Amino acid sequence: MNETSPPEDLLARMAERDETALTELYDRYAPRVYGLMTQILPSRDAAEEALQDVFLRLWSESPNLSLKGGSTVAWLVLTARTAALDRLRAAPRNAPDTGKPRAGRRADDSVRKAKASAAGPRDPASRPTRSGDVKPFKAEGTPANAMGLAPSSWLPDPEEIALIDDRLALLHKVINQLPKPQRQALELAVFRGLKEPEIAAEMGEPLGKVRSSLRAAVTFVKHRRRAVCGTWAANI
Amino acid sequence: MGCQHLEELYELWLLGAIPPENSLELREHLARDCPHCRARLRDAAQTVYLLGLAAKPAPPPARVKAELLRRISRK
Repeated sequence: MNETSPPEDLLARMAERDETALTELYDRYAPRVYGLMTQILPSRDAAEEALQDVFLRLWSESPNLSLKGGSTVAWLVLTARTAALDRLRAAPRNAPDTGKPRAGRRADDSVRKAKASAAGPRDPASRPTRSGDVKPFKAEGTPANAMGLAPSSWLPDPEEIALIDDRLALLHKVINQLPKPQRQALELAVFRGLKEPEIAAEMGEPLGKVRSSLRAAVTFVKHRRRAVCGTWAANI
Repeated sequence: MGCQHLEELYELWLLGAIPPENSLELREHLARDCPHCRARLRDAAQTVYLLGLAAKPAPPPARVKAELLRRISRK
């Protein structure tokens, strides 16, 4: 049944230019990618463009994309986050917001300003286009890419991602258990792409305190994820 | 292996939250193809994936899919 085709099989069919495979992958995963895009980007218009670009990129690269056993869905979600953050950084600071504001987003002009100043000179190759072909991908927010490590060297296995997907409701509860300051710091890292000093400035807290909060939050989620998914590896 | 002290960095580094000057040693380990760091990075990517999914899924408008397919057919 096509409905249960593993994403990796769909990617292989896309490489053979099977548009139905792309449609199936889109139908299955576009809501989670779009949800992520709307969390990161300031307007629905921007989120829709970014969503298209990510799937178009996957289509364009699929003939030559080798994930070496890594999860296609993980590639999709992690690439979507990086692409959205690149787009956020490249956005004009005072661009009009033509769409609905994303749910739960803070009044965050100060964050945007901090991010824009921290991003440094922008690479024209990373600027999004409003229409036409997908932009060249430049994963500024993904250090492993920036240092030349191929994502295939660190992408989780499809089985590991399937475990997370199967237990997502429980894992969401884990994230919701984080103390508010830890969760706020983590959200600024995940959905705004801020670095520790920027998060400290945004929260008005000492850098050391924010650094401790972030590390405590990540450690908590990591340990609970391993426990829930039963993926603790003795050699890690 | 000598990299247990990097334990708290992998997820935050993948997220891009660590300033470059504070991730030099981690990057050196990865550049040396340190097996422990490689394994931890794959593990960390699972947590980063999970954190990305903390955003509530939202169905995109149907016209987005139509536009995507139109763009693909042009290629």
